[in-house]
Amino acid sequence: MSNHHGHDGTKDANVSTDAPQFEVLAKNPRRVEKAAALTFFVSLLAFAGFGAAFWQNADNEILGGTLGVGFLGFGAAMVIWGKYLTPRGPFEEERALMEVTRDAHDKLVADFVVRGRVAFGRRGFLGAMLAASGAVFGIVALFPLVRSLGPLPKKSFYQTKWRRGSYLSTVDGRRLRAADLLPGSLATVFPEDDLGGALSQTVLIRVQESGNVVTMPGRESWGPEGYVAYSKVCTHAGCPVGLYEQLTKQLLCPCHQSLFEVTKGAIPIFGPAPRPLPQLPLYVDGSGYLRAQSGYDEPVGPGFWERGGTT
Amino acid sequence: MRRSSLQITLVGAVLLVGIFATGAVGAGASTHAVAPKAPTDKTMPVESDAGATKAAAAKGPQRLSPALGLGETLFDENCSSCHGLDAAGSSLGVSLLGRGAATVDLWVSSGWMPLAVPTAQPSRGPDRFTRAQTIAIADYVASLKPGGFAIPSGAVSGANVSEGQNLFSENCAGCHTITGSGDALSGQLNAPSLHGLTPTMISEAIITAPGNMPRFYPGALTAAQVRDVVAYVAKDIGHPDNVGGIGLGGDGPVAEGFIGLFIGVGACLLFALWVGDRSEDEESTDDALKEAHV
Amino acid sequence: MIGEIALYSFIVLLATGVFLTLYFVPSGQDVVYHGVYAPLDGQTVSAAFKSTVDLSFIVRGGLLMRQMHHWAANIFVGSIVVHMLRVFFTGGFRRPRELNWFIGVTLMILAIMNGFLGYSIPDDLVSGTGIRIAYSILESIPFVGSYLATLLFGGVFPGNGSIIPRFYVLHVLILPLIIFGLLGAHLGLLVKQKHTQFKGNGAREDNVVGAPLWPTFMIKTTGFLFLTTAVSILLGAFVQINPIWLYGPYIPFHVSYAVQPDWYMGWLDGALRVMPSWEIHLPGHMVPNAFFPSVLLPGITFNIMMAWPWIEAKFTGDNVEHHILDRPSQRPVRTAIGASVLAFYFVLFGASATDVLANYLSVSLNVVLLSFRVLCVVVPLVVYPVTYKICTEMSHTRGAGKRKRYNIIVRGEDGGYSAITAEEYPGYGREVLEPIDVDSVDLSNVMSGPEPKSTDGVYQIPRDYR
Repeated sequence: MSNHHGHDGTKDANVSTDAPQFEVLAKNPRRVEKAAALTFFVSLLAFAGFGAAFWQNADNEILGGTLGVGFLGFGAAMVIWGKYLTPRGPFEEERALMEVTRDAHDKLVADFVVRGRVAFGRRGFLGAMLAASGAVFGIVALFPLVRSLGPLPKKSFYQTKWRRGSYLSTVDGRRLRAADLLPGSLATVFPEDDLGGALSQTVLIRVQESGNVVTMPGRESWGPEGYVAYSKVCTHAGCPVGLYEQLTKQLLCPCHQSLFEVTKGAIPIFGPAPRPLPQLPLYVDGSGYLRAQSGYDEPVGPGFWERGGTT
Repeated sequence: MRRSSLQITLVGAVLLVGIFATGAVGAGASTHAVAPKAPTDKTMPVESDAGATKAAAAKGPQRLSPALGLGETLFDENCSSCHGLDAAGSSLGVSLLGRGAATVDLWVSSGWMPLAVPTAQPSRGPDRFTRAQTIAIADYVASLKPGGFAIPSGAVSGANVSEGQNLFSENCAGCHTITGSGDALSGQLNAPSLHGLTPTMISEAIITAPGNMPRFYPGALTAAQVRDVVAYVAKDIGHPDNVGGIGLGGDGPVAEGFIGLFIGVGACLLFALWVGDRSEDEESTDDALKEAHV
Repeated sequence: MIGEIALYSFIVLLATGVFLTLYFVPSGQDVVYHGVYAPLDGQTVSAAFKSTVDLSFIVRGGLLMRQMHHWAANIFVGSIVVHMLRVFFTGGFRRPRELNWFIGVTLMILAIMNGFLGYSIPDDLVSGTGIRIAYSILESIPFVGSYLATLLFGGVFPGNGSIIPRFYVLHVLILPLIIFGLLGAHLGLLVKQKHTQFKGNGAREDNVVGAPLWPTFMIKTTGFLFLTTAVSILLGAFVQINPIWLYGPYIPFHVSYAVQPDWYMGWLDGALRVMPSWEIHLPGHMVPNAFFPSVLLPGITFNIMMAWPWIEAKFTGDNVEHHILDRPSQRPVRTAIGASVLAFYFVLFGASATDVLANYLSVSLNVVLLSFRVLCVVVPLVVYPVTYKICTEMSHTRGAGKRKRYNIIVRGEDGGYSAITAEEYPGYGREVLEPIDVDSVDLSNVMSGPEPKSTDGVYQIPRDYR
C-alpha cells in the first residue's frame, strides 16, 4: 500500500508493534486470564450438567438453566478475552470513497454503448419478438402456481349450506326443538349436512319466553317463540361472535369488540364492524323442531370486492 | 465521573431483574387462587337506581338470637336492609324469592354479597361467612318460596375433562378466555376470572346464569356436560399445566411481547453495552483546555 | 451491535428450527390425540397440533427448543426494529447506504411475516383465529381479494386443509431462503462500504477508526453470539410462551376472548380495532372495512419506510456520501418525525390490548376504545413538537448529552496555570490514544530468527524460531 496519509497530510513513519495500541487493555492480564478461565470452567460444568440433565430427562427449567448458564459463561469468557486481552487500539484504516469518478462513469457508459451497439443496434424487430415471447412466458408461468392452488371463488362466497327446511343442529348432530332452550340461552347450530361448518355456523339465541321477535320491519316471522338466529361469522374480520351478554341482549365479537344489538337485527352499535350480522329466518315445524325458512339472504362474513350493496 | 461499561451493564441488569421480578410477582399474584385484591368483577349491572346511599355495612356474622333459625338471623342482620325482611326486594336490592339456594350460595360464597354500598359493583373476594353460615342463609331464602336450583354437590367423579375442554372452548372461552383469565365486557362489566373457584361455585354459575352470563342449563348443556365442564374448570383452568415455566397469567401474546422486548431485547442490549466499544466525544482534550481558558 | 443481536437470533432460529422440523408434522389432517395431556385426550385435532403438543410433552428437550425458537423470534423482530430505529435516527441510511436500508426494511417485513407464519402452523385456537382474520384481510383487497384468498387456502374458508402445509413451506424454506440471501447482501454491503461511525477519536469521512475485525471483533462477537443465545435459552427455560395445549385446537366456530397476535403484529390488530366502521360502497362492489387498517395502512407504512432515504435526500438536498453518523439531537426534524411516527405505531400497538386494559384498569371498554381513537391522532401531534424542542435545546446547549471529564488545574512554578484532563475515573488508567494506521505498522521485528537450514532438502527449524 503506497499512500498512507496521517492527520497532518504527510506520510506516516513506520509504527512498531511496541506502540501502546498493541498492548492489552487489562492492567493485570494474568488476573483477567484467570477470570476468563474460571468462567470457561463454569460453563464447562454447566454444559456437563446439561448433558446429565438430558440423560435423566430432567424438567425444562433444569435443561434450559444448565444450557443457558453454559452459554452465558462461554460468551462472557469470550467477551472478557476479546475486550481485555486483545490489542486495545484504536486502529485506523483507509476508507475508499464509494463515489464513482466522472472518468470511470464515462468509460463504463462508453463501453456499454460501443459494444452494445453491435448487438442491439437496428435489431428492433428481434427485440420486439423477444419481448413478446417473454411476455407470454411471464403470463403463462404463473398458471401452474395460480390455477392449481385453489378453485375460483365463483358462487362459494354467496352460499352457505342452509336451505329451506334445514334443521338447526348442534355440532354433535342433535336437532334442537323450540322447547329445548330457556330464555337467555344461546347455542351454536349448523345445518345437518354441514356440522361444524366454518361459514354456516349460526348462533341461536332465545331472547324471550314466547312471541315473535321482530328485529326489523319485514322480518316479522323470522323469530318464532322468542328465538332469533344470526350468522356467527363477524362481518368485520370473520371471527366467531361467541360472546352473548344475556341481560343487555348484545353480541360482542371477542376479536375487535364489535357490539351487535340482538333485538334490532344485529346492527353494530359499537366497534369496527360495518354491517349487521345476517339473520337466519326460522320457523317451528309441527313436531316442535326449529328449522330455517331459507338460507341467508346475503353473503355471510366480512366484505369482499364483488359483494356490493349495503346489505 | 465515568463508570466502566461493566458497571453500567451490572446496574442495568439489576434493574431489569428487579422489573422482571416485580412483573413476575404481579403475574403470579393475578393467577393466585383466591386473592382478596382480585380485579373487580362487575357481572351484575346495578339493577336498582338507589337515590339515597344508605350505607348498609356488612357487619359480619352476628350473635344469633335463640328464637330464630341461624339462616334467618343472618339474613335479617346482613341482607334484609337491601333485600327486605321478606326477601321480596326493595329499591336497594332485587327480590330473592324463587331464586333458589344455588343462586344465593354463589353470590355469597364468591364474595359479591353482602354489598356494602348498594350502588357499587360487586367484587370477588373471600366469603364473609363460614360455609355453614352461607348454606344456612341460602337454605333460608330458598325456603321462603320454591324455585331455582338447590346447592349442587360439585361432585366431578366420572367426568371427562377432555369433553369438558371441548365444551369450555365452545361455550365459555368467548367471554372468559381460553385460559379462564376473564376479560372486559361492554360498558363497565366483565366476565370474571375463573381461577380459585370451587367445583360447587362453578356448577352454580353455570346453572344459575348470573348477570350477563347466558343460560347454559338446562337446554344448551346436559347435566353430564355441565359436570364435564366443572371438572375441567376446577382442574385445568384453576391449576393450568404450565410446563414451560412462569405462566405470565395466561394472558397470551400481550405479556409475552412485553417480556420478549423488555427482558429479551433489553438483556441483549445490556450485553451490547458491555461488549461494544464506546465512541469518544468529538470534543477533544484541546477543546476542553480552551474551555478552561488556559 | 444491535444488528448482531438480530443476526445471532436468526442463527438461534435456524438451529432450533431444524430441530423442530424433525418432529413437527405440517398437516391439517384430522387425527385423534392420545397422549400425555389429559384434557385433550380423545379429541380430534389436526396432525400439526398433535405433533406440537407431543413436541412439548414427549420429545426430550422439545419444549425447550419450541420455547427458545419462539422467544428468539420475538427477540429477532424486536432487535430488527431497534436496529432500524438506530440507523434511522443516526442517519445511517444516507448515501451510499440507501440500498442497504431498502434491504433492511425488506428483511424486517419478511421477519414479521415469517413470525406470523411460524406461530400459526401449530394450528391452535389462538393462532387459528389469526389465520381466519388473515383470510378476511386477503379477501378485502379490491379486485383480486377473493381470488387470492381462495387460491392461498384452496377454496372458501377454511379451504381444503392445505393452508397449514403451505404456511409451513413458506415458513421453513421459502422465506428463510430469501432472508438468508438478503442477509448475505446486507452484510456484504456492510463489509464493502465499511461500517459508519460517530465523530470523535479521529474518525473522518475517509477513514475508519476503532477495533479491527481480527482478532478483537471476531473474539468479542463470538462471545456476543453466545450471550444473545443464552438470553433465548434462559427465557425458554424459565418463562412459558405460546402454551398451545392450554389453548386447544383451532375449531372454526370456537373463539377465545383476549386474543392478540404476537407483538410485532399488534399494531395491525390495534388498527383493526380502532378503525371506525367505514366502508366504501360502489355500484355492485365494495371496499370492505378491513382493507383500510390492515392493507392500506401497512402498505403506506412500508412504502414510505423503504423510500425514506430518497425522500429525505430530496428535502434536504443532501446527496453527498456520509460515513459519519449524526447525533439525533443534531437533526431535530428527522428525529421529531421519527419519534412521532413511532409514537403513532406504539399507540396502535397499545390499542390491540383494549379489552385487557379495560379489564385490568376497571374502565369501560367503550371508553378505552374511544380514548385510543383520540390518542392515535393526539399523541403523534404532541410528540413532534416536544421532540423537536428537546433536540434543539440539546444541540444549543454546549456539552449537552456529552460525557464530562474533569480538568485539574495545576499551578506551575512560574505561577502560570495549566489544565490537565483527569482520567475517566480515578485509577481507570485508560488514556485516550491516537489511532494508528494499520498499514503503517512495522512488522520487521515480528517474524525474525535465523533462516532455517536445509540438509538434504529437509529444513531444520529450530525450536525457538519466532
